[in-house]
Amino acid sequence: MSSMLGRAYRRSCSVLSRYQSISTLFQPPSDPQSTDKQQVHVSGFQFLSKNAHGFSSVSNKRLNFSCGSSLINTRVSFSTLAAVEPSTSDGLTVDAIVAKQWAILDESEGDWKSHASAIAQSIRLIKKRLQWEKLKVRLEMLSIQMEKPDLWDDPVLAGKISREHGSLMGKMKQVNGLEQELIDHIDMIKLAHEEDDPDLESESVKALLRMRQSVKEKELEALLAGEHDSCSCYIEVQAGAGGTESMDWAGMVMQMYKMWAQRHGYGVTIVDEMCGEIAGIKRATLRVDGEYAYGYAKAEVGAHRLVRISPFDSAKRRHTSFAAVAVTPILGDGSHHVQINESDLRIERYRSGGAGGQHANVTDSAVRITHIPTGITAACQNERSQHQNKASAMAVLQSRLDQREMARQAQINAHYTQSLTDNSWGNQIRSYVLHPYRMVKDLRTNFEVSDPDSVLEGEIDDFILSFLTNSMDKENEA
Amino acid sequence: MASSSTLKNESSSSTEEMNLSTLARATSLSTGLALRTLHRSITCKPISCSSTLYSLTSINPKTPLFLRSPDFTATLSDFQKWQNWAKTLALSVNSSFKDSDNGPDSEILLRELSWLIEDALENPQSLSTGSQVEVLRLRADLGDLYTLWKQRIEIRRPFQYIVGCEHWRDLVLSVEEGVLIPRPETELIIDLVCDVINQNVDLKGGLWVDLGTGSAAIAIGIGRILGDTGRVIATDLSPIAVQVAEFNVKRGVYLGENRRPWAVQLIRAVSGDSVTCEHDAVVEPAKISGEGDNSKDGSKDDELKVSCLYPTFQLKYFDKDKIAVKQGSWFDPLTEFQGQVAGIVSNPPYIPSGHINGLQAEVGRHEPILALDGGENGMSELLHLCNGAAFMLKPGGFFAFETNGEDQCRFLVDHMESVYRNSFYDLRIVPDFAGIRRFVTGNRT
Repeated sequence: MSSMLGRAYRRSCSVLSRYQSISTLFQPPSDPQSTDKQQVHVSGFQFLSKNAHGFSSVSNKRLNFSCGSSLINTRVSFSTLAAVEPSTSDGLTVDAIVAKQWAILDESEGDWKSHASAIAQSIRLIKKRLQWEKLKVRLEMLSIQMEKPDLWDDPVLAGKISREHGSLMGKMKQVNGLEQELIDHIDMIKLAHEEDDPDLESESVKALLRMRQSVKEKELEALLAGEHDSCSCYIEVQAGAGGTESMDWAGMVMQMYKMWAQRHGYGVTIVDEMCGEIAGIKRATLRVDGEYAYGYAKAEVGAHRLVRISPFDSAKRRHTSFAAVAVTPILGDGSHHVQINESDLRIERYRSGGAGGQHANVTDSAVRITHIPTGITAACQNERSQHQNKASAMAVLQSRLDQREMARQAQINAHYTQSLTDNSWGNQIRSYVLHPYRMVKDLRTNFEVSDPDSVLEGEIDDFILSFLTNSMDKENEA
Repeated sequence: MASSSTLKNESSSSTEEMNLSTLARATSLSTGLALRTLHRSITCKPISCSSTLYSLTSINPKTPLFLRSPDFTATLSDFQKWQNWAKTLALSVNSSFKDSDNGPDSEILLRELSWLIEDALENPQSLSTGSQVEVLRLRADLGDLYTLWKQRIEIRRPFQYIVGCEHWRDLVLSVEEGVLIPRPETELIIDLVCDVINQNVDLKGGLWVDLGTGSAAIAIGIGRILGDTGRVIATDLSPIAVQVAEFNVKRGVYLGENRRPWAVQLIRAVSGDSVTCEHDAVVEPAKISGEGDNSKDGSKDDELKVSCLYPTFQLKYFDKDKIAVKQGSWFDPLTEFQGQVAGIVSNPPYIPSGHINGLQAEVGRHEPILALDGGENGMSELLHLCNGAAFMLKPGGFFAFETNGEDQCRFLVDHMESVYRNSFYDLRIVPDFAGIRRFVTGNRT
């Protein structure tokens, strides 16, 4: 079991590094002539084309299902999708393969049954993570709504419905495509066996192995299937009680996320930062730009605890301090949950003493915006003009208000309350011990690492993925 | 210098009464001030400039640091040595500037340092991502960076003059000694104008004037929001300001609402013409500069389409004919437009002469006094502008003036209500974000 987990983590790292290679595409190369930068591009494209190739067989299969489907008869084609479960010539389905419990051997063993069993297990896990049964019900519901003739009377709602429908449909087709691909490979192997064609047989087994590897990556992708997982996000860190020692800790946590984000090729901007008098920060807001930033970072919400001998204590005593982390997704234009009314805002310039205007030469144009009805505030002082500070603070405010509204709606839909995003700000999630022993342990998953330095340098992927896997799978069992 | 002292006497008496007949006198007054400024700057020069790059005698406005080509190199360790030195120097200031004249403290200086690095390095991200680059490409010689940061701390040379630009709203404007650095408060004038023209299409398409434009900040800001037929004339008495204003109109940089590193990168790739970024996008810089070269000969409002990985990215050149810069005092270059002007905006000098000596060092020692000194009570130019507004604006025309604060605002409103009874309506006093009553606005009857 542990070796399987280990494998999953290795795999997960490769998924992450893949995201990294994609996201490096989003950064302009520093020097167009630089060859190694170009190599990054090339490898990125290689990945893309490799992937496209991998998908091509899937999409061929997909045609079987989706041809002739239009907006009107989507529901028909959808029902067909669900009704016709792919099976081999001798009636073997994916569920049947799982049920057979063929031994899963190491990838290097060329046994096709082992590959097929591993793939079938993965598909089942993916379905579980996608909340397959719920997804089917939801898709059915959306399809009914899509058929309504008055749908486009409300274009905003219609757009929302058709987007969600499209996205769920895509997921369903992808999984069905995987099932079909598995069945086709098995059929091919059996056929080759019957026809006594060893070349074809070994070729098909190899294809099955390739599929086994790629489907493993999709298991992880399925972890990030949440509505806002693909968004960029804000990570906010606030020092707990305890003065300089905890401010220093908050600064270390912020640094950890900065390095984590940079490692993944995400864009990192400090929006708002309030430094401690002697060391560290009282609070700070970091903007992380890139695909799935929110999907990963949401696993970090909660209180982080540090135990060490404080360098700020002359008596060299052991201290425990806390830093609280909050994460909010940055929703795209048009998907905001809250419309901000200009007249509800109080916009202030702060840290500006004196007469201002021509009297003062300032490079500091910090702006704080208060949303009067909710009392929620957002500040920004790291941009170089007041206008940009205001725009940045507005964006933070918008995402905080959106999240508040989403939380409110989630409370109304009680079934949602167990979800990840509801981890309360004060909930202790992880402990970092530097003294008397050295260890970082996640209190939710019991995942632990004995090298705190590497964690504080941003190597937190294993924590994130173990938590996502753990909570996602737990949630689905419930 | 003798002439300037007589002028000073005159300036103290010039507040007594302002009417249209004083227009000409004010002109000669301002010219005198300009001369004074020049003399001042020249005497300052030996202290401030060890590097010839920044000599004040040069006629051409300088390209801001972040747009210069990365022709210099430094090893990572040499650069970090400079960085540590600069950091230590910034930290040594602590709160001493703040305590003496409300200047910047160490925290602000450290942020300025990070911006200086952002502007000076070809690829600022290379420092933070920890990639092991041995040699950094710089937009200024490392020796000059030592000089510049020394100037920042030791002689309190304003940061904006150090990097040669000021970020103002979503613009990056070139500034240099002899030109007032546009203030954050002034950004609000654009919002005020925006509110007005959104309610009045006639004003949106009309002629606007920015008096004492300096770096042309307000003029460009308004130029960007006016309608197709709208245009702006910016005037300034100072020849340096006129040159810098023209440079900014032609080559100013617009960052767009969502400033992202690649947008800046993109602007660098085509620097040489003002461009606006309509969308955030990912582009291969090589491609842009290639296409950019081809279309540089294109006239106004050229669109440069760039193929990219994201939605179609368009670079739009400023419509340069929309904004004209003229040299002259206040309304002098505008006599032909009497009664036809849709809007008048200005951030005129409004500091009372007696306060000049106690100003924050960055302002008092380095910025042009012509743009700061508003006469004995700071109202000389403001009153002159009010009188001019009555005379130049067309019916319904709008004006917005920046002031020193509540007293000046009240005085102006009283003045307009009593002297120009029924000439203006909707007179308002508008506060800035710090809560100081900063602007007077109104419309011509």
